[in-house]
Formats: sequence, structure tokens, C-alpha cells
Amino acid sequence: MSVLEISNIRKNFGKTEVLKGISFTLEKGEVLSIIGSSGSGKTTLLRCLNFLEFAEKGTISVNGSVIFDGDSTKKMTDSEIRSNRLHFGLVFQSFNLFPQYSVLKNVMLAPTLLKRGTPEEIEANAKALIDRVGLSDKLDSYPCELSGGQQQRVAIARALALNPDILCFDEPTSALDPALTGEVLKVIKGLKSSDRTMIVVTHEMEFAKIVSDKVIFMANGVIEEQGTPEEVFDNPKSDITRAFLSTSFEKF
Amino acid sequence: MFAEVLKALSDGFLVTLQIFAFTLLGALPLGLIIAFGSMSRFLPLKGLVKTIVWIIRGTPLMLQLIAIYYGPGLITGNNIWSYSNGRLAAVLVAFIINYACYFSEIYRGGIESISKGQVEAGQVLGMTKSQIFFKIILLQVIKRIIPPMSNEIITLVKDTSLSRVIAVYEIIWAGQSFIKGAGLIWPLFFTAVFYLAFNGLLTILFGLAEKKLSYFKS
Ligand SMILES: Nc1ncnc2c1ncn2[C@@H]1O[C@H](COP(=O)(O)OP(=O)(O)O)[C@@H](O)[C@H]1O
Ligand SMILES: [Mg+2]
Repeated sequence: MSVLEISNIRKNFGKTEVLKGISFTLEKGEVLSIIGSSGSGKTTLLRCLNFLEFAEKGTISVNGSVIFDGDSTKKMTDSEIRSNRLHFGLVFQSFNLFPQYSVLKNVMLAPTLLKRGTPEEIEANAKALIDRVGLSDKLDSYPCELSGGQQQRVAIARALALNPDILCFDEPTSALDPALTGEVLKVIKGLKSSDRTMIVVTHEMEFAKIVSDKVIFMANGVIEEQGTPEEVFDNPKSDITRAFLSTSFEKF
Repeated sequence: MFAEVLKALSDGFLVTLQIFAFTLLGALPLGLIIAFGSMSRFLPLKGLVKTIVWIIRGTPLMLQLIAIYYGPGLITGNNIWSYSNGRLAAVLVAFIINYACYFSEIYRGGIESISKGQVEAGQVLGMTKSQIFFKIILLQVIKRIIPPMSNEIITLVKDTSLSRVIAVYEIIWAGQSFIKGAGLIWPLFFTAVFYLAFNGLLTILFGLAEKKLSYFKS
């Protein structure tokens, strides 16, 4: 059974169709990279999965049960939306750490509010996650005292604290100085494990090639091509994919 | 004589402080409710609230005071403020409504200036709307609105003097009473000392609050 199955997701903003029927499945422990030029709908897709936007059509199933059906006439209640969201985590391009809280508090806030264990358990878990992203010496620092790369690593620990089934990253290094992208990508790569499923929207082709089990290339709201990294990067079938890849790898 | 003046002015200033304190107590929360109304997605409510705010901010507070104190009597024929502290109550109603409208605009500006990403970060972490507001947004809003709020609150201290138009015995009234009674003009000017001292204190407090929240940037 697939951990995630999305089928025929469609999303419009007013009259513009942004997602024109997106379908794919993801097995537990797989890493999916989504590539594509800007404006192709990658962010919108992640936002639909995290219920920051609601698709007009299509279904989203997690672990075999349908959690979203665009055809359903019944409107989801706030608490249904919230519990559905918890299947997913989202790391934003712009980090969005809570500025008034220390690193430790940023990671502990949601588990504390959602009563995910005793205060001691929550704190111990948060510290372990912060250690995993290599920031144990910054527990009491505030976001404004951290570099972009460090902020993004805290954001990753914060998303992991709720142990989502599927962790999504929306261009996690696009807002960073090139010198800082490596530390973040390394952390993401280190998260890959048999029980952690991830979707990474990225422009870092080398990274996508090494880390992913699956690659989707999106263009104009459709999946133009999908497959293993070898299939998509080395033997693209579509001309659009080939054109995109040649400009992406062309550094100078 | 000086002791007598000081005593009268202090009594008056106590009333000034009451108007100030009760106005804040009422207008700070009411302003937040009005701010939510003016940001509502339910358009009739939003329109109504915006119209009220426009009327209140667009007319003099003195006129509102007079309308609230004399208006009900003109319409119904009997003065609803005739009980012992009625004048003070009328002042408070007028001040609370007026200041709540001003505060609501400051709150609204503050809330709308917080990046949408903060709300979304809370949403994807499964927080409820009220958790997002109280645990994430509120402190960031407070930090941003301290400067405009301190302006408005210092204006309130001085605006309390308007209540003398419906004969509430605040400090200006106390100072003026020496002109007729004893032919002294200086007690009226001496009231400035009270205003200056109190506003000085408030300025220090707001400075401290600003400093206390300077540990984060948003
Ligand atoms: N809230 C919105 N309202 C209107 N149009 C939007 C909105 N969000 C995204 N779009 C449009 O949808 C298209 C896809 O955007 P996006 O999903 O951000 O693409 P990508 O992440 O691949 O760059 C773009 O043309 C964008 O202008
Ligand atoms: Mg995007």
C-alpha cells in the first residue's frame, strides 16, 4: 500500500488553471524530487497537500484512506483539516520560524500545544531533533541570531517534531546564499531512511539526482515526465524536459 | 494657599486618572474586537464596522461626548445619566468607543503587517486559529504597535480634559475653579505639571516595553 496516492488533482486560481490533473504515488521511505521551471505549479501542489490551498478536483489518499476528495460536497471542518494536515509536514522556502521563540521553543511549540507527550518527553525529543540538524549549541538562540542555513535547519527540526508521514520541502535552499545551501541539503540527505517519506521541490539538480528515488518534472501544471533519476535526468523522453534540463545544468 | 491648590488639583487629577485607566481597560479589548470586525470576510459586518470607525474617527471627540451625554435626553425626554456618577459614566462610554476605534486601526495595521508565512507555519503544524493568534501572532503585533499605541495613549491623557464640557470634575476643571473663586490663574497652568509628570512616566514605561521586546526581530 502506498503511503501517498494523489489522483487527478486540479486547481484553479480564478480562471487560470494552475494544476491540470496531477497524479502520482509514493511508497514509504521514498524521496520524490519535483523539478520544473518557476510558475509550473510546484508550490501550489505542495500547498494543496498541506491544505493551505484546496484543490477543486482529485483525491489525496494517505496509507490507503482518502483524506481529501475534491468531488465531495461535504465541506471539511476545521478540526478535520487540522488532523489531515498532520499527515504532512512543510518546510518553507522562507523558513517562517517564530521570531519570538528560541530555537528549542520553536521546535517544542506545536508538540506542546497538540499535547504530544509530557513536557519532559517533548523537550527531550526536540533536543534530539535539534542535535540531528547539528544545532545543539544554538538551543537558546533566537532566529534573528542565526544564519539562513541555520534557520532552515531549525525549520526542518520543527517540522520533524510532529513526525509527519510525508515531509515536504518547497525549494528549501532557494533563499540561501550559495555557500549555505550545502549544509541544508546535507541535513535533508541525512533524513533519508526507510520510514521517512519526503517530497522535495528543488532547483538543485545534482542533489535531486543523488537523493531521489523518483523524479517528477512539472511543466505548465502537468507532470511532463516522471521516473527514476536515471530515466528523467539521463534519458528524458520529452523535448520539454530535455530543454529544461539543458538550461538547468548549463551553469555558465 | 499652595497646599490648598495642590489638594484640589490632586483630587481633579484622580478623576483624570480614572477616566484614563477605565478608558484603556475598555478600549484595548474592544478595539481588538472592532479590528477583527473590520477584517471580517463577512462583508456586511466589515462594512458596518468600517462605517462606524469612519464616523468616530471623522468627528471631534468633544462632539461625541456632548452627543452621548445630551443625546438620550433629547430623544427620550429624560436624562439617563442623572445618577451620581452619571457624568463620569457618559465620559467613559464616549472615550471607550472613540479610543477603541483608533486602537482598532492600529491593531489592524499591526496584524496585517505580520507575514502570512507565520500563520501558514502554524497551520501546517496543526495549530488552531486561536493558538496561532495567541501563541504566534499576538506578541509580534504588540512589538510592532508599541510606538503608535504610545502616541495614542499619551494623547488620551490630554484628551481627558475634554470631559470638562459636560462638567466632570477633572484636573482642568479643578484648576479653572480658582479663577472665579480666588482670582488665581496660576493653578490652571500648574495642571501642566501633572500632565507632564504622568506622560513622562508613560514614556518611560513604553520605552521599557520596547526594550523588553527588542530581543527578537520580526
Ligand atoms: N494565490 C494565488 N493566486 C493567483 N495565482 C496564483 C496564486 N498562487 C500561485 N498562482 C499562480 O499559479 C502559478 C503556479 O505558481 P506556483 O505553484 O507558485 O509555481 P512554482 O512553485 O512552480 O514556481 C503561477 O502562475 C502563479 O502566478
Ligand atoms: Mg514555488
